[in-house]
Amino acid sequence: MFMRADGCETLLHCFKKKFMSLKKSPLKVLLLITILFTIFQNSSFAQGGFPVRPGRLLISPAVSYFYANSQWDSVGTLRSFPNKGNFTSYGITLHSEFGITRRFAAVATLPYVVNQYRQATAPKTTTTSGLTDLETGLKFYAFNIDFIYYFSIQATAITPMYTNNASLGYGEEGGELKLAFSGTGHLSDLSTYFNVEDGVRQYFGTNGPIQDRYSGTFGLTLDEDFLNQVSVTVSGIYSQSNDKSFSPVRTLSNKDFNFLQASLAYGHTFTPEFSVFINGGKFITGRNTGNGYIGSLAFIYRLDYR
Amino acid sequence: MMKNIFTRFLTIACALCTTAGIQQASAQKNESDNGSVTTTLTPHSKDGVFSSTASYTFSVNSTYKNDEVGKVSYLVTTETGKKVRADSVKVKIGANGSGNYNFDIPGLSPGFYKINFMVNVSDYDDTTRKAFGIRPTEIRSQYGKPADFEAFWRQALSDLAKVKPDYKVTELPDSSRDNRRVFLVEMKSLGNLTIRGYLTEPITKNKNKKFAVLLGLPGYQVSLGPMFGTDPDIAIFTINIRGSGNSKDVINVRRESYIVLNLEDKNRYVLRGAIMDCVRAVDFICSRPELRHDNIIASGGSLGGFLAVATSSVDKRISFCSAANPILSDIRNLVHEVDWPFIDIGRYVKTRPGLTMDKVLSNMDYYDAKNFATNLECPTLVGMGLVDNIAPPNNVYTLYNNVRAPKHVIIFRDLAHEIGVKFNVYEGRWMRDTFALF
Repeated sequence: MFMRADGCETLLHCFKKKFMSLKKSPLKVLLLITILFTIFQNSSFAQGGFPVRPGRLLISPAVSYFYANSQWDSVGTLRSFPNKGNFTSYGITLHSEFGITRRFAAVATLPYVVNQYRQATAPKTTTTSGLTDLETGLKFYAFNIDFIYYFSIQATAITPMYTNNASLGYGEEGGELKLAFSGTGHLSDLSTYFNVEDGVRQYFGTNGPIQDRYSGTFGLTLDEDFLNQVSVTVSGIYSQSNDKSFSPVRTLSNKDFNFLQASLAYGHTFTPEFSVFINGGKFITGRNTGNGYIGSLAFIYRLDYR
Repeated sequence: MMKNIFTRFLTIACALCTTAGIQQASAQKNESDNGSVTTTLTPHSKDGVFSSTASYTFSVNSTYKNDEVGKVSYLVTTETGKKVRADSVKVKIGANGSGNYNFDIPGLSPGFYKINFMVNVSDYDDTTRKAFGIRPTEIRSQYGKPADFEAFWRQALSDLAKVKPDYKVTELPDSSRDNRRVFLVEMKSLGNLTIRGYLTEPITKNKNKKFAVLLGLPGYQVSLGPMFGTDPDIAIFTINIRGSGNSKDVINVRRESYIVLNLEDKNRYVLRGAIMDCVRAVDFICSRPELRHDNIIASGGSLGGFLAVATSSVDKRISFCSAANPILSDIRNLVHEVDWPFIDIGRYVKTRPGLTMDKVLSNMDYYDAKNFATNLECPTLVGMGLVDNIAPPNNVYTLYNNVRAPKHVIIFRDLAHEIGVKFNVYEGRWMRDTFALF
């Protein structure tokens, strides 16, 4: 009869394995992954559709480099910038997320750019620098499916940090509503994750464009401890406005355009609190937009305050 | 002389080995010449649960060089062994042939059933034993809980509150591993008994860090030691209830005697103290500033599963209940379904003048897991094996159906008194989501 009670011993083993599984469970991926967002010439890294732990502050300073010497015109034909021109942008982006409660997280992004346009004729070099659009938002963790797939909704306010400088942006306030869907999985023995999101953004000024901003990421952790990860991201913007003009010098203030870009990122987690990501990407197609290359280096700090 | 004896011994030994080897090879050859039959049973349900008609495919494969003639049959019984359905088909499997036989079993009442598939052919007989369920969400017990069930446990909590805990925490630096500090914890519980457990906490530089707590509860007469793991967010407190592990100062009985200790008196029954020991463990957790008092998961298997349900029911400070193969559910229906613990209880009743099985069952109504389940308010995960003969699926599902809080059950179709990795993974995910440990 007591051989039966030996089943309890088996359960004890299961119980021990159980705790170990907390570390190895796919959900652990969620703790360390970071989703790359490359929209236009700035990059940032964030939690995507995954919820943010209450009391956790995620800070991600990133430096990025963007270069373009050709453009897709209003009908999508690729041609060189006039006068052998090229556009270079250096950016520093500070992105942060803070878990307020289990459901809500505050999100903020502040980019600073140095834009430079060079051409063969005068003015040979045009340089502009400054803060661009501050984005502040609130992310709501809506629901999950089997604790594998997570859905979130984010409302964001866009506030220009400059006045009368078309090289830095529209100079108009705006708002965005974004849906994000993230999840984890397996590919053979490796853990995978994905993030798909789509946001509709409206700028409120004259001819303020309405934009669809979308992004899809698929990532793979390269080891059991999730120390190394690679991801591929495809993202783009479809922007519509009555203002159809295009200027390669003021790429941030073009209003009627679209593009699709792809990028590849590698991330290494040094400690649970600190990771570094490098990223490289390229525009694939577009209309009324520059054809550029982008590279970035981002540092992720996760600080827990509870 | 000795050399000759040794040489002769070696020669005989070698000869015997060689002969044995030849015989073994010969036997294998004969068996290979004769062939064999293998069977595969495929339930048409991942977890063995059907909404109306149970459906199986029984496959028979023969490597014999002659026709295998006979029958394939099934027998469905209740968990108590009462015959419910049976059917058979005549089969003739050709040389090196195979056959697939589909069986549909309609019209069964909600509940879990045992099913045996038998193959009886010319050279081979075999039985495959499985179980299945029909609409288990409709399973209810015909037995209610005592009217004073809640009052009984309120009194137990009140009695416990009168005992000063006198916590004594001793660090065991030599036991530290996985970046965890280990503490031996002693405390006084109901009846002023000393109980002990082990707390392991992740080492962190964050002075403000508070850990969620996994309260590990022991199986029957299982001695729990400190538990480890590299998860930086969770402290683990394993408690040895009275009479288990290193909590045997007063109660130190033989294995079979524990479950019947003081069973004649519901106010003195050993499990009353054991459940209060678990509550005292929660008291200890709530006395520690570095532990989250609102993120406590009570988790265990078998008796540990029972304790998880009972403790979470009487102590609302527990915020997540995880019970794998919980025993002692729907006890009055359990009597004729399982041997343990009722053989021991039967023996105990015989040794106690005036004690009857009815009286025992009346007392055990206060310790029935299904009765605790109705008062659960925290998310509850239940794991069960379909061929469990200690915590039968009918009884575990009765418990599960009584839970009104958010709940989830994971059924392991082919497991007995154990659960699979899927349970552990789901538990980890759900717990982390509940505790917002994203």
